[in-house]
Order: sequence, then C-alpha cells, then structure tokens
Amino acid sequence: MPEAAATNPAAGVFEPKIVAFLCNWCSYAGADLAGISRIQYPPSIRVIRVPCSGRVDPFFILKALQSGADGVLVSGCHPGDCHYLTGNYVARRRFAVLNDLLEFAGIDPGRVSFSWVSAAEGERFAEVVRDVTEKVRQLGPNRKLLKEEVA
Amino acid sequence: MSREEQLRKRAKELLAGKEVVMVLGYRAGRRPGTATPAFITRPEDADSLVFDDRCGANLAAYLPRVKHLGKIAVVAKGCDSRSIVTLLKEKQLDRNQLVILGVGCDGVKEQGRLSDSCATCAYPNPVVCDEMVGDKVAERESAADPLAEFEKLAPEERWQALAEEVSRCIRCYACRQVCPNCYCPTCFVDAGSPQWVGKTTAGSDNMMFHLMRAMHMAGRCVECGACSRGCPMGIDLMKFNRKVAKTVKDRFGAVAGLNPDEPPALAAFDPNDKQEFIR
Repeated sequence: MPEAAATNPAAGVFEPKIVAFLCNWCSYAGADLAGISRIQYPPSIRVIRVPCSGRVDPFFILKALQSGADGVLVSGCHPGDCHYLTGNYVARRRFAVLNDLLEFAGIDPGRVSFSWVSAAEGERFAEVVRDVTEKVRQLGPNRKLLKEEVA
Repeated sequence: MSREEQLRKRAKELLAGKEVVMVLGYRAGRRPGTATPAFITRPEDADSLVFDDRCGANLAAYLPRVKHLGKIAVVAKGCDSRSIVTLLKEKQLDRNQLVILGVGCDGVKEQGRLSDSCATCAYPNPVVCDEMVGDKVAERESAADPLAEFEKLAPEERWQALAEEVSRCIRCYACRQVCPNCYCPTCFVDAGSPQWVGKTTAGSDNMMFHLMRAMHMAGRCVECGACSRGCPMGIDLMKFNRKVAKTVKDRFGAVAGLNPDEPPALAAFDPNDKQEFIR
C-alpha cells in the first residue's frame, strides 16, 4: 500500500484503511447482500475472501497491520453455522489468544475486530463496518506495527 | 547411593541390556557451573552423566531429532516431562519408544542464581515417568502471578517496554533451537516463498517475530524458561510465553503438558468459550 494514509480532503477527516477477512460462506455473502440491497457503509474496507474464518492465521492480521492497514476486521459464520461445522469454533480460540496478546502488548484492541455475520445479515454487516471504521478513525493511523518502507 | 550414581547405574543397565539405544541426559559443560545435553550410546560413557542445578536445558527438545535412532531413555525434570507430554499430544513421539527417567528438580541456576522460570515453577516433579531416579522433591506453593506488575502498566507503557525489549533481538533464533515446541521442518521465520517475517532487526520485524512466536506457544508452552536462558541478548521471552499460557488457562481452563489424553488447547474448542471480544 504505497500511498500515505488517505484523508478526505473535503471533510479533513482521517479515512482509515481496513483489511477485512470475510469467510466465503457467511460474511462475504453478507457483504454481498449489503451491496445488492444498496445499504450504505464507509468505503474503508478492503475485502479478502477466505474459505473459512478458520483459515485466518493470526499472522495475516499482524501482517496487514505491518503492511499499512490501520485496522483489521475478521468475520465469519455465527458459532454453530460454520460451513465446515467447527472451523469458527477453533478460530475463536486463536482469536481470543491474539486479542489478549495484542492488548497485553499495548496495541489497542480496537485495531483488530472480530465479528460473526451471516449471509442474511446485510444490514448487520454494514453496521459492523460503520462501527469498526469509526473505532479505527478515533484511534488514528496505525503506527505501532507499521513497517516503514525503505526507499 | 546418590541420585547421580543411581542415574549412571540405570543408564548403564539400560544400554548394556540393549533396552534403549541412547540415554539422553546431561554432562558437565566445558565452562565451570554449566551442564550440556549428553547423548550416551555406550554403557561405559554413562559415568559422565550428571544431574544437579546446572541442568537447565529442556531435553525434550532433542527427542524429535534423535527419535529415528530407536528407543531412547531420557532424563526428565518436571518441565521436560511436560514438554514430552506436549510432544506426545502432537504425535511427535511414540510413548512406547521412550523410557522416561524422572528426576525431582529444585530449580536450575543461571549464572549462580535461581532461574526466573524456576522461581514460579508449579511442577518440580515429572508428570509422567517410567521410573523415578532419586526422590520426588516437595511440591511448591503456587507463586504470585509474575505478570501482575507489568499488566498494571498503561497500554502505552507496556508497548514501550516490550518494543525496547525486542529491539535487542538479533534474530539468532536460539530461543527456537532450545525449544521443544519448535520442531517444524521449516519454521515460519525461515519460509522464503512467501516470506512471512521480514529478516531485518529493524522496524517492526522483531515485534512481528516475537508476537508470532508467542502465538505458536499458546496451549503448548510449559514455561520451562529454556528460551529466556538461551537468549544471548537477555530478552525476557518468558513474558510473552506467560501471557499466552495465562490466557489459555483463564479462558479455556487448560494447562499445557499435563494430560496426554487431552487435545492441545488450540486444536480443540468448547461451544461455550467466552467470546466477549467478538461482536
């Protein structure tokens, strides 16, 4: 991500870049539903479609922050609804450990958000993105894990 | 007969009787006050075995590297035995190909003083063993939470402290080499395609390495402290390890390396796991 943190010149507010890992079966379809239902939400997210929230290695999340993302959203099927039956349950444990470790390391937990959004919850998806965007906007550009590009 | 003599005698018997092909223990190091892993294959060499408070290496780390030789006898303190349990859980070892010679441990010394990890050790005796060599030592009172002070700091102070700590890292990976959990044929730090972690010690690469190393320890680390003792830069790696162990215990009620029949905590789940951080 070469360009500097974008600001909206009209309003002068910081527009965060958020990497969203969405599971193929629920949250990605939820995002799609938000789209086809023409529900408005901030254009802050960059979606990466993954087969399951269980595919999301904690490293992906840290790597996104290191590569210039201001925030990360990970979203999967509601517990019990995983297409692969238990993928999100196992992922939940990993996310819990990561969440606590980041908090321990003094990285604001608001940078990394987790949510469950089903394929029928277009409105909820939009709400999650609005929320996460607002949270990251409050925190400002990510500096802690960012790796400065060497010219 | 002293414990050391008993140990040598058993090692000789096991090797002479061809019950095992190797006894993995400790011998005196080249520098005074140190001990180093010993890979004994001939009965007559068994007299070089020692066991005392110099023996800090976690011998479980060597088992995956010698297991192809055949049945191995291994000297195991509390922490070594728990690491063996972790490896058994992860199907890295075959219990039938091990003879675990348990030893009670009063803590190991690091440059003359008790190692930090031993000061808070709750399992000084082996949790699995085939036979004890010498007596068990007294169980200890559970120590106060060693992270309590640090966790009281403000987030910004914690970040500064950890960033400073890991800035000393020279990425020699000694912590990985001494760790029984690190048996991957290709470590994520060595993977080149894609390259996961930047190789530099500048910027955030060190922090990325240390955070991910900690993540990989979750539910597996037995807090033996071999990494902290092995670090040439004196980085307090145990701080990260303790945090993930604490999370796993608080959230999932699991303690690494106690029960070989339980799956590793992060390979299992409970539908009722707390999810207050997920919306």
